[in-house]
Amino acid sequence: MRTGPQPRKRRSYRSARLLQSIIVHAVLLLFVFIALFPIYLMFNAALKTSAELFQSFLSLPKEPQFQNFSFILNEQGYKGALYNSMILSTSSMILTTVVSVLAGYGFAVYRFVGKQWLFLLVLTGLMVSETSVLIPVYQLLQDLGLLNTYAGMILPQAALGMTFGVFLMTTFFKDIPRALIDAAVVDGGSDLQVLRYVIMPLARPAIMSLALIEFMWAWNSFFFPLVIATKQWLMPMSVRIIDFMGRFTFKYDMIATTTVILFTPILILYLVTQRSFHRGITFGALKD
Amino acid sequence: MREAPWKDAAMPRFNVRPYIFIAPALIYLGIWIFYPIINALVLSFFDSPTGRSRDYFWVGLGNYIKLFQDDLFIKSLYHNILWVLLSIALPVVLGLLLAVLLAGRGRTRLFYASVYFIPQTVAAVCAAIVWRWIYDPSIGPLNHFLEAVGLSGRPWLADESIVLIAVNMIGSWSYYGFCVLIFMAGLQNISPELYDAAKIDGAGALQQFIYVTIPLLRNAIIFVLVYTIIGSMKFFDLIFVATNGGPNEASTVVGLRIYWHSMREGRFNYAATMSTILTVVILVLSVVVIRQIVTDDEGV
Repeated sequence: MRTGPQPRKRRSYRSARLLQSIIVHAVLLLFVFIALFPIYLMFNAALKTSAELFQSFLSLPKEPQFQNFSFILNEQGYKGALYNSMILSTSSMILTTVVSVLAGYGFAVYRFVGKQWLFLLVLTGLMVSETSVLIPVYQLLQDLGLLNTYAGMILPQAALGMTFGVFLMTTFFKDIPRALIDAAVVDGGSDLQVLRYVIMPLARPAIMSLALIEFMWAWNSFFFPLVIATKQWLMPMSVRIIDFMGRFTFKYDMIATTTVILFTPILILYLVTQRSFHRGITFGALKD
Repeated sequence: MREAPWKDAAMPRFNVRPYIFIAPALIYLGIWIFYPIINALVLSFFDSPTGRSRDYFWVGLGNYIKLFQDDLFIKSLYHNILWVLLSIALPVVLGLLLAVLLAGRGRTRLFYASVYFIPQTVAAVCAAIVWRWIYDPSIGPLNHFLEAVGLSGRPWLADESIVLIAVNMIGSWSYYGFCVLIFMAGLQNISPELYDAAKIDGAGALQQFIYVTIPLLRNAIIFVLVYTIIGSMKFFDLIFVATNGGPNEASTVVGLRIYWHSMREGRFNYAATMSTILTVVILVLSVVVIRQIVTDDEGV
């Protein structure tokens, strides 16, 4: 490509390149616009009054209405929903990550009878979704008396991300040079010491990725909480939004505010830790 | 599989320790994933007037027979399949093209990919709400825009003939960035020398794409296709909030039927039968994709 074309062709070649480059950039920027436009609408609507919104969805607010947030959080009691979301996401993140790290260690470091089959079993779990297991999980929670409890929300949620977690941790841990583990074993290190002092420091970015993705999934989760948490005091933010919509269909400014409240923590988390997100998400695609 | 034999030397032959490490995960998944899958299958052979387990009676394949006479279920399954195809036609293909356009760009590549991924971090619930406004016939910016350029707007989510496509656009909006990311990472693994070799052989851009890029992205393509199938068969949140299956069930999907029959009507066994069908369909489709692509490769 850099060897250059024939001299007499050079001018047309250059302008063709320029045109091509302009088109490519236009396409790339068009999709930046598409990605961000709905998000702009969301924030914009949250900062306007109802009356302003009915005039135009697009124009910027004359005066940003930050009191919408305090109205939703304090007067409408959505602080509690935010707290519930926090409990749900943090707990299921910790549960999934810890169990996945342990299993990843077992799968990546040891060879043992039935390993391939057990790993395959875990992988088939990747194909299982909320919709596939809803009824048995619901009945199980009912029998255990866990409907409308935090535990009832957290336990199945953690399971949904766990197959992915075990898969991700196993693949990452396999990449750790065996000589390092070997040396630690020869020095008399126990399993937990190897995990704690050899694997964990080296795999910290991977574990970070997993934790972040699990947090996001649980934070944005909707189906299980909708079914399991039917009492308002227990509903996480994602479910409370729908509850709010059902009661105030045309309070667009307030609905927008609730969506912004749900989205902002994840947006900040993503912007701060993009590389971790990307690493976790792309790894599975390239390593199998 | 690929392990060096070092562990055999360092450890005794049968070792209980790996099992201790994987036990928590297996037990946990057993309780919340595998037992429910089997239980859904078992439930599908029973019925119950009350929905409580003590009232179960055996109906054999009765639920399945009812299911395949249930036009609404057939329709919803058809919508799910359509959703798979739409998701492949739009965000997956688009993601691949954008990733190719981004390949070879330095830092800006990461900027674009990061921005494209942002919609994926928006909860489906929020995405559905915002897009309902965009599609709104009276206040929505989409119709305003179309009218401004001389086209006529439509009631996107209230028109039976286009509602599924309109909702799929919401899904595509949040999904294309994910595809870009996967394909971009896959493209990074392709050595530039292969393209140079193809160019020396006189391959144009399109030929390079077909004969170099596509085959070498095989793993990424399998992954995205399987992921798309699974996601398209199981999704619920988006459609629940955007249209709740309407108008006139024109956008209903299996997830909605399962929710409706179990949580609203209390017909748990019937809903569990749908779940079982869904699981089987996902499994079969995924295996077909994986097998198809693997045999293609061996044929070459």
